[in-house]
Amino acid sequence: MTVPLIDVVNVSKAFGPKVVLSDVNLSVEEGESLVVLGGSGTGKTVLLRTIMGLLTPDQGHISVEGKIIHQLSWQELFEVRKHIGMCFQMAALFDSMTVFENVAFSLRRHTTMTSAEIQFRVEECLGLVGMKGTDQLKPAELSGGMKRRVGFARAIALKPKILLFDEPTTGLDPVMTDVIGRVILDLKHELGVTTITITHDLKSAFEIADRIALLFRGEVIACEKPEAFKVNPNAVVQQFLRGDADGPFLLDPPPPKRSQSTVSHSPLNV
Amino acid sequence: MLQTFLDPLGSRILGALDQAGDFAVLSGRTFRAVFRRPFDGENLMRQFLAVGVNSVPVVVLTSLAVSAVFAVQLAFGFKQFQAEGLASQVEGLAVVRELAPVITGLMLAGRVGSAMAAELGTMQVTEQIDALECLATDPIHYLFVPRLLAAALMVPLLTGLSIYVGYWGGYLLLVGAEGQSAVVYQSEFYKLLAFKDVRIALTKALVFGLIIALVGCWRGYRTRGGAEGVGNAPTSSVVTSSLWILIADFFLTKLLLV
Ligand SMILES: Nc1ncnc2c1ncn2[C@@H]1O[C@H](COP(=O)(O)OP(=O)(O)O)[C@@H](O)[C@H]1O
Ligand SMILES: [Mg+2]
Repeated sequence: MTVPLIDVVNVSKAFGPKVVLSDVNLSVEEGESLVVLGGSGTGKTVLLRTIMGLLTPDQGHISVEGKIIHQLSWQELFEVRKHIGMCFQMAALFDSMTVFENVAFSLRRHTTMTSAEIQFRVEECLGLVGMKGTDQLKPAELSGGMKRRVGFARAIALKPKILLFDEPTTGLDPVMTDVIGRVILDLKHELGVTTITITHDLKSAFEIADRIALLFRGEVIACEKPEAFKVNPNAVVQQFLRGDADGPFLLDPPPPKRSQSTVSHSPLNV
Repeated sequence: MLQTFLDPLGSRILGALDQAGDFAVLSGRTFRAVFRRPFDGENLMRQFLAVGVNSVPVVVLTSLAVSAVFAVQLAFGFKQFQAEGLASQVEGLAVVRELAPVITGLMLAGRVGSAMAAELGTMQVTEQIDALECLATDPIHYLFVPRLLAAALMVPLLTGLSIYVGYWGGYLLLVGAEGQSAVVYQSEFYKLLAFKDVRIALTKALVFGLIIALVGCWRGYRTRGGAEGVGNAPTSSVVTSSLWILIADFFLTKLLLV
């Protein structure tokens, strides 16, 4: 068996008394796309940040390319990070810089490319995410979906082996959601990268995924191929797939749905 | 009863030690990062501009006002002893040794340190600092170092400017308003001063510059909790660095004058 590119082993993480991840195990093979589903606040971002080494796990470890992240020195950690592109939930573009400077940032710092080569690479990256011709704009002039795509371009500039997407489609309209889903698929095919994508959007999840994991109350309760995931008998999985409020998913279930006949002051009945 | 009093006190003290330790660790990392590659000249020039050039008007105006007002009091005070001639000597002493470095330090803590805290604080809560880390860039090296270098160079330079302006502030008042002789003022201003005093002034300014940059960056870097956190960062940076400037001034004066 090959060594997985990203291996999350028995990872637990708590903030004070609040346990966010408990005993999470995940592994991603080279070239594979893993989609992580999960409700809001279940620790999906915390998981990605732990993989990037921005947070240290309380227990367990994460290895990337066979190196255990939290045992590396600063220098070694930065070397590993050059092989990982992280796309933040809110894009996290440098707002004092133009789009061009954002995408060129790591090229300028970590390579010896000439400015003509950098220009070429930045245009190539912006082209891959469908954002050509925006290079002189500031992040404040972009819409949410455009910011995310510039964030993608910045993440792929150094040709990473791994791409991590944190809720790339949340808060976007359905059309833009589809655009982003397509960009991710394109990147996956054109660059042949290994990806971990966090999303709530089931449609793009099933398009992107080689395997789907569901994070529920800090634990991975399912991790399997999309076809198997669809028919997983677990009640939580089925509730998430239906998008229904009733079921074991929520700790404090909402009040039962009103039936139409009990609504006495419906404006439609006047 | 005693415990209800001691418990919060204990946790206060531990909290303060925690903060001091955190500040010391980050400062140490900043000094070590100064000579690390890559060298980012463009970024450094931007900081020189923000810290130095853009602070010139504020430093000129405050130095002029404070030195002139101080000369008013000196002229009045020495007049009580029929010793008006001493006013220019004491003015020189006060401007070079105390007023110029402290006024420059305090004004820059307000103008520059708070801006650093606000900028880094915003970057922190919008995850831009995390993004830097993910792009394999040490935020200490990329953000702290140019600000530290700019403040360490610019605060002494601006203190020099402040001394020059202070000379003319005193001149304006003692020669212009009080009618003292210009030739006498020119020689009396330096009478109590030695070259050592300029060195003292610049040493103080250097230390103040380090305090301003490190505290401003530290408060910004440690910002938590959205808009409110970003709002608090500059305030607490100005209060903290002003306090430390005054404390450092006291000890430096005592130590360097020996
Ligand atoms: N730095 C932090 N300090 C304290 N609590 C945190 C921190 N980061 C995340 N959390 C908590 O961890 C939980 C999971 O957060 P997150 O991973 O952002 O959720 P999501 O799955 O929506 O991305 C949240 O309840 C949040 O309060
Ligand atoms: Mg999240």
